[in-house]
Amino acid sequence: MIEVKDVRKTFKLSRQQRREMGEEFTGTTIDAVAGISFSCQPGRIFSLLGPNGAGKTTTLRMIATMLKPSSGSISVAGHDVVSNGRDVRRNLGFLTGTTGLYDRLTPNEIVKYYADLNGIDSATFKKRRDELFSRLGMEEFASRRISKLSTGMRQKVSIARTIIHDPSVIVFDEPTAGLDVIASKGIISLIREFREAGKTIIFSTHIMSEVSLLSDDLAIIHKGRLLYNGTYEAFEKNMKGRSLADEFIRLVEEAEK
Amino acid sequence: MNTILTIFKKELTDTLRDRRTIITMIVIPVLLFPIIFSVMTKIGESQAKKAKEKILRVTVIAPPEAADFYDILSKQDDITLVRGIPEDSITTFIRSDSLDGAYVFADNFAKRLRQERAGVVEMFYKTTDSNNITKNRLKTVLEKYQDILLEKRLEKYNLKKSFLKTVTIKSRDVATKREKFGKIVGGFMPYIFVIFCFMGAMYPAIDLGAGEKERGTIETLLTSPANRFQILVGKFMVVVVTGVASAAVSIFGLYLGVRQAVDIPQELMQVLSGVFETSALLMVLSLLLPLTIFFGGILLSLSVYARSFKEAQSLISPGTVLVILPAAVGLIPGITLNFVTALVPVLNVSLATKEIMAGTVDPLLLGVVYLSLIVYAGLSLWFCTYWFSKESVIFRS
Repeated sequence: MIEVKDVRKTFKLSRQQRREMGEEFTGTTIDAVAGISFSCQPGRIFSLLGPNGAGKTTTLRMIATMLKPSSGSISVAGHDVVSNGRDVRRNLGFLTGTTGLYDRLTPNEIVKYYADLNGIDSATFKKRRDELFSRLGMEEFASRRISKLSTGMRQKVSIARTIIHDPSVIVFDEPTAGLDVIASKGIISLIREFREAGKTIIFSTHIMSEVSLLSDDLAIIHKGRLLYNGTYEAFEKNMKGRSLADEFIRLVEEAEK
Repeated sequence: MNTILTIFKKELTDTLRDRRTIITMIVIPVLLFPIIFSVMTKIGESQAKKAKEKILRVTVIAPPEAADFYDILSKQDDITLVRGIPEDSITTFIRSDSLDGAYVFADNFAKRLRQERAGVVEMFYKTTDSNNITKNRLKTVLEKYQDILLEKRLEKYNLKKSFLKTVTIKSRDVATKREKFGKIVGGFMPYIFVIFCFMGAMYPAIDLGAGEKERGTIETLLTSPANRFQILVGKFMVVVVTGVASAAVSIFGLYLGVRQAVDIPQELMQVLSGVFETSALLMVLSLLLPLTIFFGGILLSLSVYARSFKEAQSLISPGTVLVILPAAVGLIPGITLNFVTALVPVLNVSLATKEIMAGTVDPLLLGVVYLSLIVYAGLSLWFCTYWFSKESVIFRS
């Protein structure tokens, strides 16, 4: 369960960044997220759709306690992200498409590292590890250094590391960015499996096909504001454009006016 | 604490598997001293040997009365007499290395001797080595001649040579050899230790800060239950361990160098054995520990600020000068540990190490050095913690 209430995130701009904003811009700060509210339910997939720079990553980073909201509140699995960050992180897995790994360690070592950071006892760890490694087909390269692994193998290690502590909330920040079709398909089916397992899932993307494949709930974000927030079903029913992509562009253009 | 240890263990494993770290932390420090020693002693030896063994070509311009001098010369088998060189071209010959030296007796040499006065002999040579070996060899010959003339003169009055001697001076330098040489050679070694401390800490610091950002692993680490302070302390400990280890390894390298170089001067040997006394060694290492924490805080702060490995390197490289400079000031003779220099980071360690090796350190000043180092280390750690908690630093774009 994720509860986002009227959240705003303001960044100070450096002199150079201000210059890059153009002459009309006179402020010293920018709202990357300008007051958004939504909630994600267990057993449902929540998609956060938006163009580059819309505020998707900032929102997800606030949910994952990496950034503090400037105002508003976020609770994850019943814990407040500001006052109780540690418990939030215990219940949360975070996966990005660009997530790197430590080249000089092995999958075994990396997964163990995150299990230790989460304070998992060794019996539970062994059980979870064996289960995950066999399900993802990781045993054959479990003791090889990451630098020797293919992108697909690395992605599997990233996944295993993200969910070794069996989090109830999983955050995917553009999880398929930089992956080939086969690896992307693997991620998509994994997200579905997590839904079946009753986990709360939020994922951000700018790829329309993924949205239509996965979404139970949808929020469209543009320039830090939500243009739509509701079920995917309702969104599809009320579409004025011919496709999801057309409707998305229509909404963004309307907001620009 | 468990979390910090988990992070420390992982980061240390990761760091020790990095070839660059191993090279700067272990390979270079171990090999440096043995190489410096053997190269220096080899070069020194061969230079001295060359100058000593060389047969000097010498010309003499002297009146016939100086026959005794020719006699002495002919008995010297390391000198050959070159004849037929005109007086006015002696300088040119020596400068062009066609000749090594010349004795030119004044015209009135014999006359002045008869008057029982001193006759003038000009000695020509060229100084090329710092030991003045050529000059000394030429002078020795002349001194033998002088002795003979003196004895003859004294005989006339029935006097012995000892008649001329009224005072015998016996010098007693009470400085211990360790003291004398500790301060000379001692300056150079802390310089090396300090630099290794910095270099050993540098790569891990870059890798654990900017490297983590560049690989994109920082986000996952930050979303683990470990808080920022624990993450930072875990990383910090690795940086400090590698820095101190690198300095310790260089001390070990120094030991190896000493063992392997057989003909180190006795005095130097004594100083070095002073360094290898356990208590002195522990003292030096205990000075290097807070210094490395101080370095670690600065290095990690810069590294965390940088977006990439490359940027971190370009931020940190100029800092190397800030370390080398005060360490080098410690090499200047006359700069000693006092209440002002004890407060200057790096320089204070350099000077205190020198004193510890010479066995002359003032406990009060040493206390001031420790205290100031602890304050600097604390400030540096505090700043780094503050810096690491800033969103604009970690997610700088």
